[in-house]
Amino acid sequence: MVKEIFTFLVGGKAGEGVKKAGSVAADVLAGMGRNVFQMDDYMSLIRGGHNFSVVSSAPRKIYSHYMKADLVVCFDKRSYDNHSDQVAEGGILVYNSDDKDGMNGMGVPLTSEAKKYPVRNLMFGVGAVAILCAALGYDKKYTDDLIAQQYPKGTEDNQAYASTIYDHVFPEIGGKFKLEEGDTVRRIVFGNQAIALGAIAGGLSVYYAYPMTPASSLLHYLAAQAEKFGLAVIHPENEIAVMNMAVGSSFTGAKTMVGTSGGGFALMVEGFSLAGITEAPVLCVLSARPGPATGVPTYTEQADLNFALSAGHGEFLRIVASPGTLEEAFYLTAQMLDLVWKFQTSGILLTEKHLSESSTTIELQPDNIISAGGVEFQGNGYKRYLDTEDGVSPLLFPPSHEVIKWNSYEHDDLGITTEDPYWISRMHDKRNKKIDALKKYMKSINTVNVYRGEHPSNVITYGSTTMSVIEALKYGQINPTVVQPVYLNPFPVWEFEEFKDQTNIVVEQSSTGQFADLLREKAGIRIKEVIKRYDGRPFDPMELSKKIKEGL
Amino acid sequence: MDDLGTNAENTWCPGCGNFGILNAFKKAVLKLEEKGIQRENIVISAGIGCSAKIFDYINLSGIYGLHGRDIASVQGIKFANPDLKCVTFSGDGNAMGEGLAHMLFAAKRNADITIIMHHNSVYALTTGQVTPITNKGWKGPSTPRGSVEEPLNPLTLLLEAGATFLARGYTAKIDHLTDLIEQAIEHEGFSFIDVLQPCVSWNNTYKLYNELTYVLEDEPKTHDEALKLSRRIDKLPIGVFWRDEKPPFHDALYGSLNPSINSLSREKRLEMITNLLKF
Repeated sequence: MVKEIFTFLVGGKAGEGVKKAGSVAADVLAGMGRNVFQMDDYMSLIRGGHNFSVVSSAPRKIYSHYMKADLVVCFDKRSYDNHSDQVAEGGILVYNSDDKDGMNGMGVPLTSEAKKYPVRNLMFGVGAVAILCAALGYDKKYTDDLIAQQYPKGTEDNQAYASTIYDHVFPEIGGKFKLEEGDTVRRIVFGNQAIALGAIAGGLSVYYAYPMTPASSLLHYLAAQAEKFGLAVIHPENEIAVMNMAVGSSFTGAKTMVGTSGGGFALMVEGFSLAGITEAPVLCVLSARPGPATGVPTYTEQADLNFALSAGHGEFLRIVASPGTLEEAFYLTAQMLDLVWKFQTSGILLTEKHLSESSTTIELQPDNIISAGGVEFQGNGYKRYLDTEDGVSPLLFPPSHEVIKWNSYEHDDLGITTEDPYWISRMHDKRNKKIDALKKYMKSINTVNVYRGEHPSNVITYGSTTMSVIEALKYGQINPTVVQPVYLNPFPVWEFEEFKDQTNIVVEQSSTGQFADLLREKAGIRIKEVIKRYDGRPFDPMELSKKIKEGL
Repeated sequence: MDDLGTNAENTWCPGCGNFGILNAFKKAVLKLEEKGIQRENIVISAGIGCSAKIFDYINLSGIYGLHGRDIASVQGIKFANPDLKCVTFSGDGNAMGEGLAHMLFAAKRNADITIIMHHNSVYALTTGQVTPITNKGWKGPSTPRGSVEEPLNPLTLLLEAGATFLARGYTAKIDHLTDLIEQAIEHEGFSFIDVLQPCVSWNNTYKLYNELTYVLEDEPKTHDEALKLSRRIDKLPIGVFWRDEKPPFHDALYGSLNPSINSLSREKRLEMITNLLKF
């Protein structure tokens, strides 16, 4: 049976090598020239619990994992209980017969075989890889080489274990899945990596962050790359320090970014407002997880939209944009870094766990990246807050014989504190002019992605949900137009005129429909239905396509 | 010295101790210039409060930051451009209340910044409330029956946190204070000066400090001696309490890199990313 989409799901306890097995599976499938999408579902713990990794692949570009899997490998009974009903038609379920036998599917003694080796728990992942290799019809040589490459520690034990598991399953499932090969082998990148690379490409010099899921991997990746790219990557005492240090660094002309999730961003907003009045270019990556408060740390949600749009006290320009795909995350991060410098203000790259921590095959064109810039002052008589036609004052950085004063108080054009009514209103007007200038500029760039369809209706979505929507439409073979605003503030209303009174369905991951409200309020969009999911899990394309069909 | 001032209207009360800090700082900058440290390489920051108003009165570049957060912002300047000498002016409410975590961590990481703490033991600009270092029993608008908390001791705290330059000065001893500021700015690593600063409106301590302060003859030689000295309350020694040599944070983390200057070119970045994405 040749299948277009092939999905592999592996589940077990944290520490058993679940995520690694998923990554290896993704590499195997990408190695066939196929496109892959990997989603890791893990709990906020280090050992135990239940984690799973699901990898879907297709010869074409694939935008989401599928929760119905062709090959399901369960390391324990809990995984079996969670996933035994997620086996696709014609699929195979392999379970650990040592944990509980007599279940539906194929039992394999993963534990008793692993006990023969010193580090047994981490070996389950190796077993899952062997099962995948057998099911895809790869021979032992391929499997051996793969294990050696992917598990450099204890390779021989791992190879011996893989061989035993392979022999167990091969007679029954060997070569069960014949997959069509794709056109080219592509690199697999995870979302926060795409953001990090986009930022570096765009000119990043300094990154500050305090660890917080799902933004931590952005910090980790940049910290690992810091030396190579000549970056300062700093983990200070808290998010308050993060944002205030970032303002300090941008004062020197260094392209500066910070990253966090909702709770950390809540601590940053005072400093975010500081960036507003000092006109400090600072980009914040806000990777959302379910809230309020601590919420659900390792899962996904789009409930921080309103928070991002209005973050920080006082009136100032906040640029908010949200990438719909991992490719877009790469280019958009650089573009946002450029915009915060062009308009000297704070910006938010709003994303979610589902984009930050999912991985996919990707083709990037670094040459298309925008480099962050800004106008630098030349001459004498510098005024930090010189009022100009578009409200954007020239920049100058220390050391300079000119005096450069950034001020958190309302100030005159020299940056000296003022309580003078003339200056208070003048500086408000100056900063507000930047909003108009930005809107004008936005009309010259792509602010809304429109995927034209033939069905006379539209699905409007944003952020990582865009990927779920695109895959759902492909799966369901339905083709309404998909409208995805990349920029959320200022909201590109001018792009929405044609859709206003058409049949519109909104898809978002929030319980109250914040995005739908934004569309109504900002663009006067008539909305027929809002499809919401807010259980921390991303949409499944099969389930979502059904809902969209019902809605149309 | 006049060109180190600005045209901003000075709104401190007549007789305020802050004038002493302003004058001593300007004198220190001039003396540093004689030693080859140009004023454009000195940047300043300030938090919020009467102390922080000094930002508007000094004609140097910098960031007038948020309450307590100036200590973070000034580190951000230093980390992005380690060539700059970075000084921030914090009140004792600013540094020891809202900014305490930033200050302790700045000392812990030996950030190469100077904090000049205006020690008046009162929130003067908000009309006289108790600060984290005010003696127990202070009657202010937020503690009408007298504060019930013991004060923190900034010098002992910072000694424990790993500060590598600690000093105490007094606004009425301007030449002595000038010398301390000069040394603090020259020090490579975290430096802190606890400046006794009478507040003529809410806590006039001139008489008290004139009686209690004395200039230290010898600097403590051990950490224990410094701790002991910093705990002294019968008398208030002024001078350098502690100095140590440790690599500053930016140097320990990324050596000679200056992130604001040594940024890789666009071509180099794109080439490296293209290679990184290749198999």
